[in-house]
Amino acid sequence: MTSRERMAVAMGHGVPDRVPVMCQLALGHYFLRTGVSPIEIWHDTPAFGDVLLALQRRYGFDGLLINLPGRDPDWRGHIERIEDVGADQHVVWENGLVTICPPDDNPHVYQSDRATRLFPGFEEIDPARLYYVEPHDIAGLSYPTRWGFGSRKAARPDFFPPWQYDTIRYVRARAPDVSVHAEVWSPFSQLMDLLDYGNALMALLDDPGKVSACLDALADGTIELMRGQARAGADAILISSAFAGAGFVSCEHYRQFVLPCERKIIAGFKEACPDVPVYTHTCGAIGDRLELLQATGTDGIDTLDPPPLGDVELADAKQRVGHRLFIKGNMDPVNTLLAGTPDDVMEDARRRIEAGKPGGGYILSTACSVSPATPPENILQLRAAVDRYGRREVYP
Amino acid sequence: MVDLEQLAQQVIGGRADETGRLVKQALDEGMDAQTVLERGLIAGMAVIGMRFRANEIFVPEVLVAARAMKAGLELLEPVFAASGVQPLGTVVLGTVKGDIHDIGKNLVGMMLRGAGFRVIDLGVNVPQPKLLEAVAQHSPEIVALSALLTTTMGQMPLNIRALRDAGYAGKIMVGGAPLSQEFAEKAGADAYGANAPDAVEQALRLIGAAA
Repeated sequence: MTSRERMAVAMGHGVPDRVPVMCQLALGHYFLRTGVSPIEIWHDTPAFGDVLLALQRRYGFDGLLINLPGRDPDWRGHIERIEDVGADQHVVWENGLVTICPPDDNPHVYQSDRATRLFPGFEEIDPARLYYVEPHDIAGLSYPTRWGFGSRKAARPDFFPPWQYDTIRYVRARAPDVSVHAEVWSPFSQLMDLLDYGNALMALLDDPGKVSACLDALADGTIELMRGQARAGADAILISSAFAGAGFVSCEHYRQFVLPCERKIIAGFKEACPDVPVYTHTCGAIGDRLELLQATGTDGIDTLDPPPLGDVELADAKQRVGHRLFIKGNMDPVNTLLAGTPDDVMEDARRRIEAGKPGGGYILSTACSVSPATPPENILQLRAAVDRYGRREVYP
Repeated sequence: MVDLEQLAQQVIGGRADETGRLVKQALDEGMDAQTVLERGLIAGMAVIGMRFRANEIFVPEVLVAARAMKAGLELLEPVFAASGVQPLGTVVLGTVKGDIHDIGKNLVGMMLRGAGFRVIDLGVNVPQPKLLEAVAQHSPEIVALSALLTTTMGQMPLNIRALRDAGYAGKIMVGGAPLSQEFAEKAGADAYGANAPDAVEQALRLIGAAA
């Protein structure tokens, strides 16, 4: 089986020739481990595509996640200068904005004071002007949405810029046998980022009707984006719904706000692309809402943070929702991958494979992203573990 | 006469306008500001803390309660300042360098204020010199550091060492999603706050004022 076939079988609840392995790597890991500068990786489509492929191959993963949108090919033309400030690099743009690029973490765009990030107030938001919010746009988050530093407005019917899907096409062309996954932000996550988290969470109580209207509007744009990603060659779509766990909201709020918009985007996507799997990434404690997650219509669950980061163990999740959802994750990215030894990783992976492999539908992965400073020798143990314990004929 | 139980209920319900109105009314009626704080605002936030720990309420409910408490506190603080009433203690609070996440830090700050602490909030992405400068300026009983990222949790031991090297003899507490009690101990912290109410409990314990 090719990696792509193996992943497809696992996402379809079949039993592949071995348990697939695929982790989402924090962008900082690419920054630290590829020798390519954070500025290039963050802003340049081919540079990002190349490091995605390089680490997928280095770690023997069966798939990779494209977690940045394609970039304006003319991004360099908008730079005024680049400054080295301590360990960081500051990209000063022609319009005065400044992107601070740390050596090991996501860049962020600031006002010219290099300290302020602007967020619109909830009262300024008109749901009719929302369609999709992209927090990782190279010019930062904007309302109403604009793309990059050029004059490209985001207006329907051509809301998404022509370069939006370039990374998917780039990677797809160079890795035909690898499972290529694209990412969208859940409407709930988009609103959290747009308003800043605290303000957004208070808005749930202050004006729930308006919040629902915003989420409904953002769902429309999300559906269009997902369909575009699938057309460009994505084998699966990940919904990043990081703020929908118990660390942030109750099950009641999940039911009221998250469930309707995620159900809508998945149904809307499936209307056009019924055979492309969709799965959901929700961080932290989600043990009390696995069935609600299933009710969104998603095909799989990413993450499943185990204690102490979360509260779900794989065997329990598999028993509760494994008949309907594929599961990717459950290894502790902090206490095992980052802080553990290669032997710790191998032993933990063995236990996850033992719990996840029977009946198929399991992809070995860290729960949340692999942290930037995670030792490569620990990550390499994941592939070694599926080779040793994950083959169809091997029963650990 | 304002019913302080009613005031606490407004805090619990997150009704900022009504909280402010009742505090103002209480002060206008000549009620003691400390009593208004303790039996109204702090009593309300204590209920919020208990419910949060019991998973009966979640972050949004805590945030609106803290916002209501703040509305009342803003009216009381000038009275305290004028009458020389001292806070329980001073906490210098911030998210460590490289980390721009502030929701947990803000929650801790609001709940510490609600418990009677004076909080100096340094914001996010706080460089070590700024932290040391604030500590030298405010002589806090407690320094509270937050980090959400695995990339920035390593700043905790560095900051703690720098604080001790600079002669800071107060208490240091840490918190944030990837942290744990074990990490806090290894980093040299005096306490680990698993969540905002727990951070308040730890802060009270650190200054010997635990209930």
